[in-house]
Amino acid sequence: MKKISYIVLFCLMAFFSCKKDNYDAPTSRLTGRILYQNQTVGVRSDGVQLELWQHGYSLFTKIPVFVAQDGTFSATLFDGDYKLVRLRGNGPWLDNPDSIAVKVSGNTQVDVPVVPHFTFGNVSFNKSGNTVSATFTVQQVTSTSVLERVNLYLGTTMIVDNTRQDASAEKLAADIVIGQSGTITVNIPAALASRNFMYARLAVKTNGVGEALFSAPQRIEFK
Amino acid sequence: MKNINIYIGFIICTIIFNACKKDFLEREPQSIVVEDQVYGDPKLIEGVLANLYNRIPTDASLTNRWTEHTAYDDAVWSGSGNAGDEYRNNIISYPVDRWRLWDYGFIRDVNLGIEGVQKSTKLTAQQKAQFNAEFRFLRAYDYFEMVKRMGGVPLVTTPLVYDYSGDATNLQLPRSKEVDVYDFIGTELDAIVNHIENNGSTSRANKYAVLALKCRAMLYAGSLAKYNNLMASPITLPGGEVGIPAQRAADFYNKALDAAKQVIAGPYSLYKSNAANLGENFYEALTKKTGNPELILIQDFLQSKGFKHGFSYDNIARSLREDNLASSAIAPTLNLVEKYEYLDGTAGNLKTRNADNSDYVYYTNTQDIFANKDARLYGTIIYPGTSFRNTPVNIQAGVALWNGTSYQIIEGDLGARYTDGKLLTGLDGPQRSALDLSNTGFYLRKFIDNTPLASTRTRGTDIAWIRFRLGEVYLNAAEAAFELGQTASALSYMNTLRERAGFGANSLSTLTIDRIRNERRVELAFEDHRVWDLARWRIADQVWNGSTNSPDAMLYALYPYRVVRPGDAARHDKYIFIKQVAPRFKAPRFYQIGNYYSSIEQAVLNNNPKIIRNPFH
Repeated sequence: MKKISYIVLFCLMAFFSCKKDNYDAPTSRLTGRILYQNQTVGVRSDGVQLELWQHGYSLFTKIPVFVAQDGTFSATLFDGDYKLVRLRGNGPWLDNPDSIAVKVSGNTQVDVPVVPHFTFGNVSFNKSGNTVSATFTVQQVTSTSVLERVNLYLGTTMIVDNTRQDASAEKLAADIVIGQSGTITVNIPAALASRNFMYARLAVKTNGVGEALFSAPQRIEFK
Repeated sequence: MKNINIYIGFIICTIIFNACKKDFLEREPQSIVVEDQVYGDPKLIEGVLANLYNRIPTDASLTNRWTEHTAYDDAVWSGSGNAGDEYRNNIISYPVDRWRLWDYGFIRDVNLGIEGVQKSTKLTAQQKAQFNAEFRFLRAYDYFEMVKRMGGVPLVTTPLVYDYSGDATNLQLPRSKEVDVYDFIGTELDAIVNHIENNGSTSRANKYAVLALKCRAMLYAGSLAKYNNLMASPITLPGGEVGIPAQRAADFYNKALDAAKQVIAGPYSLYKSNAANLGENFYEALTKKTGNPELILIQDFLQSKGFKHGFSYDNIARSLREDNLASSAIAPTLNLVEKYEYLDGTAGNLKTRNADNSDYVYYTNTQDIFANKDARLYGTIIYPGTSFRNTPVNIQAGVALWNGTSYQIIEGDLGARYTDGKLLTGLDGPQRSALDLSNTGFYLRKFIDNTPLASTRTRGTDIAWIRFRLGEVYLNAAEAAFELGQTASALSYMNTLRERAGFGANSLSTLTIDRIRNERRVELAFEDHRVWDLARWRIADQVWNGSTNSPDAMLYALYPYRVVRPGDAARHDKYIFIKQVAPRFKAPRFYQIGNYYSSIEQAVLNNNPKIIRNPFH
């Protein structure tokens, strides 16, 4: 009898021991978009970062939130009050030191307005022969920014940017008229010419800003 | 009962007889050395210094972070795939905290040392001056290592002591300007250069080590002043914590050149003892510690006293290893190999295809493709057809079988024979995915010990890590002179150094900055210069641009194949070479403008509100 009670006691301790002092994992989901004029702003996948800060705890360190290439982001958090900061000198938009107060309570949405340096208008892609050409208009949003170049990237997957690409072409600022339609052409690599499709994407780079602003990737049928 | 009385009596006696001993509880500690003892004894102060010398930060030396030699473009990680080492072949982008250094533990230890020596009553004035100079050398060195990673940092020159008043604001120092930190380094080194003594020593800093550090630091400052301001938009902070004014460039270059001239005029000379074999000569220049007139300051090891390391164990060529498990971790890339020029001064690209690119070039021996190259290639890298420790390496990827229209590539196990009875794959590979085997077709020679049993874990090696040597000073002098428009003297420094590498006298008659940069890369490969050079020239973000199409951001391998084409005597059993991206290398090197200055840790920012963050993060 005594033995059994020991076993029961042991089991009780074993089954409940891990329970104590453990927190549940966070469940509230914060999602959001980077917006300019109600359009999401395309960026390099894994490149641009927002920061979330929460005051009031002894550990004060940022929660980095990376922006997906279509300009959306998400983070799974505990409920609470956070400050969302647009990290300086990081995205292809003007620095804005104002933080955005975010109250996370259950699933929460937040829009982050930004003012980019340049944007694209009238983007279209066209395949002819062994080349893909893009037509675009670069629009200046911030008058003090200086255009560096426009790049056209081809990739085999939907994630296309300056680091994940199979072919690229660039046009320097000297060859681009801001506000007027321009084209840029890239050769399809011979090894990939027999594919059924590829994705194409445009990027506009501003002087002195690390990250470029991207158009939406577009699937281009080869056959 | 009787016993108890005896015990009580004994205890009472003990207490009585010991009671009058004065200061019974005041004992000299037996297990720790107190401050007064340390700073009263030159031998113990040397112990403090030895500890600090060993803690001088490096990005990648032979012991500290040695694996990081494979994180740039000179080598691919080819060692084992566990313990997270393989990630170096797949760095999507360098994190912004990668080079973070906030080394105030070191600075405090130095400052305590300076104060201790100052207060000491047992040292002579001359000893005090010398130790003071040596501590300050170490402090200047550490500040240089910090400023090149972080930009301006707080200059702390006395031990900071908290007074328990509840207010720590007097300990919260703001960041100094970047230019002020470099000026501090310059003036500190000027102040100590005539007091440091240690003449003839290579493991402790002497006058020439001080000048060599000054030369390097001033060159960095000069190039930052020049090239940062040439960027499309210079990296600066409004308070000057980052960013050196362009007008200071000439001043810094002048100081660098002046310091370099003093070192060159000193008792050092380039190592040239093995004139018969210039490749071996260069290897010896980097690995010999006695009778080597080139070494200025090294981190020395001594095998017989157990102060040794395992760099040779980890990086010896596969077939030459004397222990099991690790070998071949650092596999030099084709990128680096091709930077070694031909002796006639032409660019070093290897000729694997004929002039109109219609066929391979066929070589009788695998080493023939490397003929007439800069001798430093041999001294730095083990390439196919050479030997190490008098044993030939066996580098062959497979055979190329002619099927009538094209070559079929056949690769096999290490040491396997092909059906014709001759070698299929060499004992040293390369293979595409094998661990502890070169992935590029090359092995490291520089800093690998050729003493028998040096590549075992039990014996280990005591090859020294070179902090400063005369070869670098020549290159610093050449660069500073060139930037100052003194092309003639820049040429003479360059030609002196190139002569040792097998180029004839006066091999260069014109000079460009790219030529100097290339010379630095080939002379100083694996000596912890590459990443810092690219950063101070502000070209790292262009060279390592993260593009899979880039010839610099991608790392390449050279695979030799034996041709099987019976009936074609001009080609059969000859060797062809195929250039390709190193198979284990996955992500192009990507250095972003946010990497030029590393981020400051959040805990530092939290503790000291006067510290401002670096740009871009």
